[in-house]
Amino acid sequence: MERETLDVDVLVVGGGPAGLAAAYRLARLNAEQGGEPLMVAVLEKARAAGAHMLSGAVLDPSALTDLMPDWKSRGAPLDVPVRDDRIYFLTARRALPFPVTPPPLRNHGHYVVSLNRLAKWLAEQVEAAGVDVFTGFAGTELLYEGDRVVGVRTGDRGLDRHGERKGTFEPGVDIRARVTVLADGVRGNLTKTLIRRFGLDAGRSPQSYAIGIKELWDVDPDRLPAGSVIHTMGHPLRHEEFGGGFIYALPEGRLSVGFVAGLDYRDPLFDPHVAFQRFKRHPLVSNLLAGGQMVRYGAKALPEGGWHALPRCHADGALIAGDAAGFLNSMRLKGIHLAMRSGMHAADAAFRAVREGDVSGARLSEYARLVEEGPIRRELYPVRNVHQSFAGGLLAGLLYSGMSLVTGGWWFRDPMPSHAGHERTRTVKRYFGGGVPPEPPGVPIDRALTFDRLTNVHYSGTRHDEDQPSHLLVADTDICRTRCIEEYANPCTRFCPANVYEIVDADAGAGKRLQINASNCVHCKTCDIMDPYQIIDWVPPEGGGGPSYEGM
Amino acid sequence: MTLVIAEQRGGVLNPATWETLAAAQQMNAPVTAAVVGARVQDTAAELAAADVAEVLAVEHEALEPYTPDGFVAALAQVVEATGPERVLFPHTYQTRDHAPALAARLGRVLIPDCIGSKDRDGQRVFVRPMFQGKFVADVLPEGPAPHFASFQIGAYRADACVRGAAAATVREVAVQLDAAAIRQRPEAPFKEAKQAVDLTQAERIVAVGRGIKGQEHLPLAQELAKVLDAELAASRPICDSGWLPMDRQIGSSGQTVAPKLYLAVGISGAIQHLVGMKGARTIVAVNKDADAPIFEVADYGIVGDLFEVVPAIVAALDGD
Amino acid sequence: MKTAVCIKQVVTRDWPLRPAESATWVRDDDASFEMNEPDAYALEEALRLKERHGGEVVVCSAGPARISQVIREALARGADRAIHVESDALSAAGADAVAAALAAAMQDESFDLVLTGLQSDDQGFGQTGVVLAERLGLPHATIIMEVDIAADGAGLRVKRELESGWFQWVAMPLPALLTIQSGINQLRYATLRGIMAAKRKEIRTVPLDGVASQGQRILELYVPEKTSATRFIDGSAPEAARELVRLLREEARVL
Repeated sequence: MERETLDVDVLVVGGGPAGLAAAYRLARLNAEQGGEPLMVAVLEKARAAGAHMLSGAVLDPSALTDLMPDWKSRGAPLDVPVRDDRIYFLTARRALPFPVTPPPLRNHGHYVVSLNRLAKWLAEQVEAAGVDVFTGFAGTELLYEGDRVVGVRTGDRGLDRHGERKGTFEPGVDIRARVTVLADGVRGNLTKTLIRRFGLDAGRSPQSYAIGIKELWDVDPDRLPAGSVIHTMGHPLRHEEFGGGFIYALPEGRLSVGFVAGLDYRDPLFDPHVAFQRFKRHPLVSNLLAGGQMVRYGAKALPEGGWHALPRCHADGALIAGDAAGFLNSMRLKGIHLAMRSGMHAADAAFRAVREGDVSGARLSEYARLVEEGPIRRELYPVRNVHQSFAGGLLAGLLYSGMSLVTGGWWFRDPMPSHAGHERTRTVKRYFGGGVPPEPPGVPIDRALTFDRLTNVHYSGTRHDEDQPSHLLVADTDICRTRCIEEYANPCTRFCPANVYEIVDADAGAGKRLQINASNCVHCKTCDIMDPYQIIDWVPPEGGGGPSYEGM
Repeated sequence: MTLVIAEQRGGVLNPATWETLAAAQQMNAPVTAAVVGARVQDTAAELAAADVAEVLAVEHEALEPYTPDGFVAALAQVVEATGPERVLFPHTYQTRDHAPALAARLGRVLIPDCIGSKDRDGQRVFVRPMFQGKFVADVLPEGPAPHFASFQIGAYRADACVRGAAAATVREVAVQLDAAAIRQRPEAPFKEAKQAVDLTQAERIVAVGRGIKGQEHLPLAQELAKVLDAELAASRPICDSGWLPMDRQIGSSGQTVAPKLYLAVGISGAIQHLVGMKGARTIVAVNKDADAPIFEVADYGIVGDLFEVVPAIVAALDGD
Repeated sequence: MKTAVCIKQVVTRDWPLRPAESATWVRDDDASFEMNEPDAYALEEALRLKERHGGEVVVCSAGPARISQVIREALARGADRAIHVESDALSAAGADAVAAALAAAMQDESFDLVLTGLQSDDQGFGQTGVVLAERLGLPHATIIMEVDIAADGAGLRVKRELESGWFQWVAMPLPALLTIQSGINQLRYATLRGIMAAKRKEIRTVPLDGVASQGQRILELYVPEKTSATRFIDGSAPEAARELVRLLREEARVL
């Protein structure tokens, strides 16, 4: 069967805030500067724009305003200004308010938004500006000419679970582009291959990540006024674990309730899903949720490494933007505005490169200059060591964070040394000192306040064609049942929030085996990040599959 | 008066007709049954056993075989001649084929696939499933009588149809039909093994879950399905493991079914499974774990080891 | 041959739905929508017929502005143009109102063949097609598993599904209307070129003055309550099994 090809000037991979901002900026530059119209396309693996978008979210509108000064009159879904910021330290039973909200967490002038709705709206603006937005197509490999990226191949569709062609088989398309902007999100599958091929992370700190789990709840509208923002630290996390909870109030009694846990925990038995359930059972949260109804669920990893963990974001014919690169301010718990800003810079560099007919990495390095000289560095550099400082525990992190506000982020060793999160996880034997590990803190599942993973997955709207090859490639499943079961007690069954990984009895009583329920996958990427042996490779399933984060 | 349209093919009455008569008898209005075809005297006499005011025999050569054009034309005349308050049908494939057009021709709408009817604040409403059984709705017919509704097969019990003390009168109703105006030309029906299993049409389903442990134990469930004359189905882990083909998977990303009997064996009842089978009329669950969510939707539950219970059910069914 | 395919946009299958405040419809303000699955099969059949017999496929849909999503999807899969009867009042309309709205917009097009899906995943009335046939004065057949157009284009022969494994061929003159059974064919994917081409295809928007009386009204929509508590059957396996069989026979009467 003939493989379709398509030629464009700039291909943006990923229809999130970074990719859509890049696409919109390109369309605007095109319109403002005239000349031969640039052909721009956006590739998005979700079946609809915004369907894989998950965030808290409190939006700093600065980048949006620069991108589209008239966003208000265009009906941007920024309806809920932040009215009230609170931060608590949680003990098992009590919530101790911080007397003052630290400046980085002050959200005056910001908005409580649904990133799903924001992306959906942005995609409409982008399409109206003349850009093709192709939803339901996953980019599965980068196309090269020599060492220059010349586009993306989309995934084949219509393969059965054994990889055989079904009657509906449709080969992937080669989209050839002069510049490819990779905005494929946190731990993006294409960005990952680009970074490895060219060692773009050489000399940088390893990226560190966290997993965010979130539910939307409908509660009594009088519980919490719209625009209220609450952050928590402490319980259920211990001193050694990084993370915290959030509650953002939307209108009509809708609450966005979530929990972020650093993917650098030492305890191999730590379970982010259980931590989130325990967070909801804290009186501060359970009182807000009592009598309410959980209506939506989602989970997604986020890059926490900050400035020092940013890879080189340009190569011949390619740029990296947004979460894929790691443009997120973990001290402010914000990344959408930086993702958009990076997308705008990438668009500027790509536009000029295409116009001048030079798409070499040297020419595209203008992107790095724009990042260095613009608001991104101004925001990220001073907090460059904050996340790393939490490796020493909550107290050390808080002390350093406070100090960095004064010192501009200076530390004796800069960058502060750090490790990839999965390397910090200890074996069961080492963590528990060889003894029998204590029963990890469990949580009763009442299917009213607390939920099991499978029920949660149902509320993520996740759907995949069941008859397709698994998109979770485990290089050696023998490791799971021989080494990992002994050394780490199969942490995949805990860090995956969607019950994708299960250790079940092997046939005919031959011990255990790994079962992969690939169709549960909510595309959070945690397994690709956190597996201690780094043998899990997340590749995109058939385009259109995945969660449906409507309203998230 | 409530007019019930009986269904017959080749002189054989569709038993679902009795169920619709039972539904009609509960509506506090005299019931008339009508049977339509080329030769319907025998089925009319059979219907006369029910406690109905009368049975209308609507005969015309052009009504055999069934065509929607012929039936709409004939029934429109019957309804206009008798002026019923409401017209009820069993919700069969034949009803789905012509009753909506009949209602439309008379300026009405058919409320289809009802599972009940009740008095709500002095108004007769019809209860029907929506969103594939996730919800039910009380639906009020609007506008002048007659109102049209059809009843899901099995929603009422045929033996709930009250028999009359004496046989009801059978009255012949003449209709004018122009055979040339009937546009459909049906050929003889034939039976064909379908390539794909259609669990949505199954009356009885035995579904297995993870509790079955291994593919080698599947014959146990197959045997149960066989003695129950049921289709075999499964929850996702079974199909994921390739133990049964994917067209036998029940639940989200599988089939949504509503059989008369759903016997869940070793299925814990994840929400993904429940959404596909909650609509079953009678649900039986066999599971080791008394707290399994499947018991929250089950009508009958046996907490026990399926490897003991399933053979025992087979034996109990075989034993008589 | 000029074929119309009527499609409906419905809430995505298995979307966690709740009744709306009014309790007469579901809360769908933030739901995800998709093409009604049976209609997708009707569209696919129309495209296959066009590949065999030539002509034009026109996709027709009635509903609020949001349904342009499924109209564009149909155009991307290969339909040639579209008619969108637009009215917010149609967002939860019954089959009768939808059929009336479609009939008015389709009347003057003189289609040779009209295809619809068998039923919708939301209301499940299963009669938009049949009522539309009545309103357009077309002969119809339902639950179709195979479509054969006569060589001279004057008529067609279709395979209808009857109950319990029975089938029947029915011949009809054209123009005609068919309601298509899911699974009649395998659905194709939209291609990149199809998506790009769809942007240039005509969507004729037909405003609707008012929705006709629907002949029925939902008073209340609710989650079906389980009528009785689970009856646990105790005893040894043989005892419990015997009791279960007895209950299934005498109480539930399903055996």
